Amino acid sequence: MRFNQTSFIISVSAAVLLMVGCSSTPKPNPLALQNPQAEPAPPQNLAITAKLLNEESKSIAVTDIYFKKEGKNLSYIEETRRQSQSSSGPIINSVITPKIIEVDADKADASALTGGPNSSAFPVKFTNLADPKSTESPANPAPLVASNEMPQTTSSTSNIQTLKKSGYEANQEYGELRYLANPIRGLLIKSGYKVVHAKSSPAAPAQGDEYFDIVRRIKAGDFGDADFVLYGVLSELSLTDNIFDIPGTLSSSQQVALDVVVDFNVIDTRTNQIMASFIGTGTGNEVKIDGKDNSFKHSMAKLMKLASISLAEDVQKQLTAQNFITAHPGNGPVEGRNFKRRLEDDESTLKIYGK
Amino acid sequence: MTMKPNQLNKNSLSILIAALMLVACSSGPQVRYGDSKAVETVNADYGSTDLQLIAEAMTRSLLQSKAISASKDAPIVTLAEVKNKTAEYIDTRVITDKIRTQLVKSGQVRFAVSVTEMPNQVEELKRQNQSGLYKNSTINKIGNMQGAQYRIEGSIASIVKNTKDVKDVFYVFNLNLINNGSGLIEWADEKEIRKTATR
Repeated sequence: MRFNQTSFIISVSAAVLLMVGCSSTPKPNPLALQNPQAEPAPPQNLAITAKLLNEESKSIAVTDIYFKKEGKNLSYIEETRRQSQSSSGPIINSVITPKIIEVDADKADASALTGGPNSSAFPVKFTNLADPKSTESPANPAPLVASNEMPQTTSSTSNIQTLKKSGYEANQEYGELRYLANPIRGLLIKSGYKVVHAKSSPAAPAQGDEYFDIVRRIKAGDFGDADFVLYGVLSELSLTDNIFDIPGTLSSSQQVALDVVVDFNVIDTRTNQIMASFIGTGTGNEVKIDGKDNSFKHSMAKLMKLASISLAEDVQKQLTAQNFITAHPGNGPVEGRNFKRRLEDDESTLKIYGK
Repeated sequence: MTMKPNQLNKNSLSILIAALMLVACSSGPQVRYGDSKAVETVNADYGSTDLQLIAEAMTRSLLQSKAISASKDAPIVTLAEVKNKTAEYIDTRVITDKIRTQLVKSGQVRFAVSVTEMPNQVEELKRQNQSGLYKNSTINKIGNMQGAQYRIEGSIASIVKNTKDVKDVFYVFNLNLINNGSGLIEWADEKEIRKTATR
């Protein structure tokens, strides 16, 4: 019995000693052994400082809104050639009367080319004047028609030839709308991004759709050292003017609205990856009560301003909805960025997720 | 100087007539204030007590409805038409106005202007926005009116039966709360009133 007590006390003391030994024994630091002056390894969770946040802030370039305008020039040319014989030889006088009307491409396709309403003004079906087949001279030109228009008293004769040619010339205009993107830049600056100046991109004389090649412009260095490029192409711009009765009253409201629809993409300049893609819309409205009675005239400048602000708000909403702003924040709300950093730190740290 | 009895009678009669005429001229119509909530039973036609009964019952029921009581913010409601399907002339607007007053007083409902008030509202907006007389920062801009989530509409109908000595009138007042967005009837209630007049 006495032996048991003694052995129990000995074993307990040995266990206590072992535990103390385990917990107190310092582990040798290999780095410290090699270089006693070396600084200790930095903690895995970095302290988040204003300097660090500033270094992390992303830069973005916002292009002006690109547009492409397609039009068709309907042309109708009448050429009258008069050939007269005189003592010195044949004299040819030519009178050309061109008639060119610029119309929307869609309207031209829908009417004139198919023999629609415009064909009454232009009796011949329209062909593409750019097409060499349509413009080449006929194999057997029409014979000159003899005419007796010249005074009978002279011995000379004259021939008159009338040529009629009609067709269309398609034209495409490329450019940038400079006033729509500024509110977008403003909102991105407010969100904490560094907004980088984007070089303007004038269209070449015979510009094609390569005008929209943003990767080419990134490679050309049009956006400096921006991390991202937000670029938009105008899809539609429409102005509507409607008059509605106001129920219960004798008044009416005239509503003039400018709507813009822009196709946006955000590109990572390093990987050319599309980070966000959406259609942004903006509306500028002007409403006048009994406007029709007072021959109200809307202000285009006001509508443009309202539409661009509305577009910028929609862009910000869409960028947030597609997690672009949260995943790649600017220098904005520090709390949100701290939270993001905490989620991204190393796996060994304790994480508590609350509802 | 003695009077003949016949002459005396004539004189006293004329004095009596004059006195009666004087009394008649001085008495006039009597005016007094009564209790506005007192039960009115002058006849069986629609009256003030009916108005009060209907408004009170409808307000109480509407405030207990889920659409109103379960709403976080006081919902915006507007008054629509209450149709008078009776043979009498009843100004139904008085009924809905009374209900509206009691609902607004409860603080659980906000009311947007109804069609009846729209002309004044439009004129006021026009005056502020289009006259050019007002300071820009104080102008209530066009396009900021709030749309109502619900509208209140209903009807009042009656069944009248007459005999030589008895007139029986039965009123049914029906009210609905309709969600303007979904078109769903969120609440409906009715108040029935029976009145019988006998000779």
